[in-house]
Amino acid sequence: MKILILLTFLVYTYSHAEDSDDNTTELLDEKFRLNGLSTQDAFGSAREKALSATVRLVRNDKLIALGGIVDPSGYVLTKASDCVGAREAQTSDGKTYSLKIKKRDEKTDLALYQLISDKDSFPVVQWGDENSTRTGSWVLSSFSKLEEIRVGVASGKPRKIGREGGVIGVILGADGDSVGGVRISEVVPQAAAYKAGLLKGDVITSVDGRKLKSRDQVAKIVGKNDPGDVVRIQIKREDEVKFFNVTLGHRSVTFDLFNRNLQMSGPVSKRKDNFPMILQHDLPLPKNSMGGPLFNLNGECIGFNIARVDRVTIYALPAEQVRETLSKFLGK
Amino acid sequence: MRGYPIFLFGVFFLRLFLPAEENQGKAWELPVPSNPKELLEIQDRLQSLLPKVQGALVSIEANDGAGSGIIVSEDGLVLTAAHVIGKSNKKMFVRLPNGKRAPAVSLGGSELSDAGMLKITKAGPWPFVEMAPKGSSQLGDWCFGLGHPGGFDKERGLVVRLGRVIGRKDETMRTDSRLLGGDSGGPLFDFNGRVIAIHSRISKKPDENFHVPVESYLANWEFFQNETLFTMEKMEKGGFLGVACKEAKGGVRVVETIKETPAESSGLQPDDLLVSIDEQKIDNREELTILIASKNPGDEIKLEYQRNGKSMSSKIKLGKRPDE
Repeated sequence: MKILILLTFLVYTYSHAEDSDDNTTELLDEKFRLNGLSTQDAFGSAREKALSATVRLVRNDKLIALGGIVDPSGYVLTKASDCVGAREAQTSDGKTYSLKIKKRDEKTDLALYQLISDKDSFPVVQWGDENSTRTGSWVLSSFSKLEEIRVGVASGKPRKIGREGGVIGVILGADGDSVGGVRISEVVPQAAAYKAGLLKGDVITSVDGRKLKSRDQVAKIVGKNDPGDVVRIQIKREDEVKFFNVTLGHRSVTFDLFNRNLQMSGPVSKRKDNFPMILQHDLPLPKNSMGGPLFNLNGECIGFNIARVDRVTIYALPAEQVRETLSKFLGK
Repeated sequence: MRGYPIFLFGVFFLRLFLPAEENQGKAWELPVPSNPKELLEIQDRLQSLLPKVQGALVSIEANDGAGSGIIVSEDGLVLTAAHVIGKSNKKMFVRLPNGKRAPAVSLGGSELSDAGMLKITKAGPWPFVEMAPKGSSQLGDWCFGLGHPGGFDKERGLVVRLGRVIGRKDETMRTDSRLLGGDSGGPLFDFNGRVIAIHSRISKKPDENFHVPVESYLANWEFFQNETLFTMEKMEKGGFLGVACKEAKGGVRVVETIKETPAESSGLQPDDLLVSIDEQKIDNREELTILIASKNPGDEIKLEYQRNGKSMSSKIKLGKRPDE
């Protein structure tokens, strides 16, 4: 009887699908979609491994990053610049641990934390060979609540990501010797120069004491500094000479304000540049879920998610790079 | 449920059992993969198709923007999005995955569906891919997208994304294959390596994106090749019939005739199957709109249609599209 019911049901749904040549939108059941629950289930033990070796890093009851357990005694690796002030970590079994920062590495933006516990049997990531992951290979990571995973594919070539210098957040006009400097034609709202008090129409005459006459010179001298550094800018406003101290911003964050694509992306990582090597993938993870491990279909860790770049792009540090930094952290 | 008509089982065997036999072992044709082995089959299939199709992907460089496209003929016809070409007969460049540039010129398209076409003006042969025939993609099909988001980047190369067809409505295909604005015009392939759609628009949800189905190009092939871009403005100012239609086999089916329009005064009725206009066969709704609005208000068309299986024909003087 059960079979009969099932069969008639199938016949019904199947003929319904075929006869519908009208324009009402028929949508694929959410659970069958790329990140639907049925698809997630197919990942089997890889899914379990991803969930059990990932932790949530929390500050003031808010998720600020994910991390991956790399030692049974509770060592956790994560994205350093996202988890400043992390006090607690939650594991997928619902337990909460106090956290202690051990090390940070500027080059890779990784940090090592320790879960405070007597336990010596935390489930750890099993390292895999990132070279086995090619464009089009499945990748997966734990999703924010550690109840689900997110899946996708390696989407571009592994590569080095160059440094982006700091910016003051203005758009400069054409080079003009007549004004003895470079005129600001637009000030990006809420960005560095705006906060320091620079205005549209101001003429930049020097940066950190160096006289400037072209747009390229301004960009070059400012760009030698990093986001967060302070530069001293001299300007001419009508007949007045003024000085401003400007705390530089991140290029991507500043100019994303102008980019419609990225406005639709949701928040992206502040530090998303200057990595020695990255794997690119397309997992739908928010900014506060960077820092966690990335797995292949076998459940082996092939990297750590290190930057959300835009709505479809995440960079992960390859496992080899992560392990090298971990060895350095542990003094091996 | 007891005593359910037996003929349904016949239907069942015809429709489900036989196709299931044929599809045996193809993980990407199951309703959903259920284990890592099937996922691996999907991955292997994707990775075996990539080298066969990626050579035909181009990055499009125009003065006022960039996008992607896919070569579909040896002599260099490229499918892209209407909003990537902007207008007809515009000079631009395409860039192949190896970084080589070639000159191209925009042909036609339609702002209704966002279908666009251009042609490489340098002599081929060019690497090209096959287009899927009309009606071959179904809800739930696995698909993969290629593109050059943000323009050509040699270090990164082209970008690959995987997803499934999650919906279809009017002139649009919806997938959960992820997209960024700069992917516009790039191809979406089925798991046979054939183009099924072209990337068009993103939504606020990263897992719901919109593509122009290949049917739009197939139905309007000559029109697009003829260097004509069908614009919204043309639609508003061109000829007007006054029917709401739905897609159907062998034409488009009338759902409703609008009051006080040429459609109503000529006696068209719901359920009539519109077959051709001025001897030009109608393949889909977009083509119907293009054929009608490419004429001017006051022009006469010869419309052939079927009512209850009987062929009918009438000459209709087109009107003007109402303002609202």
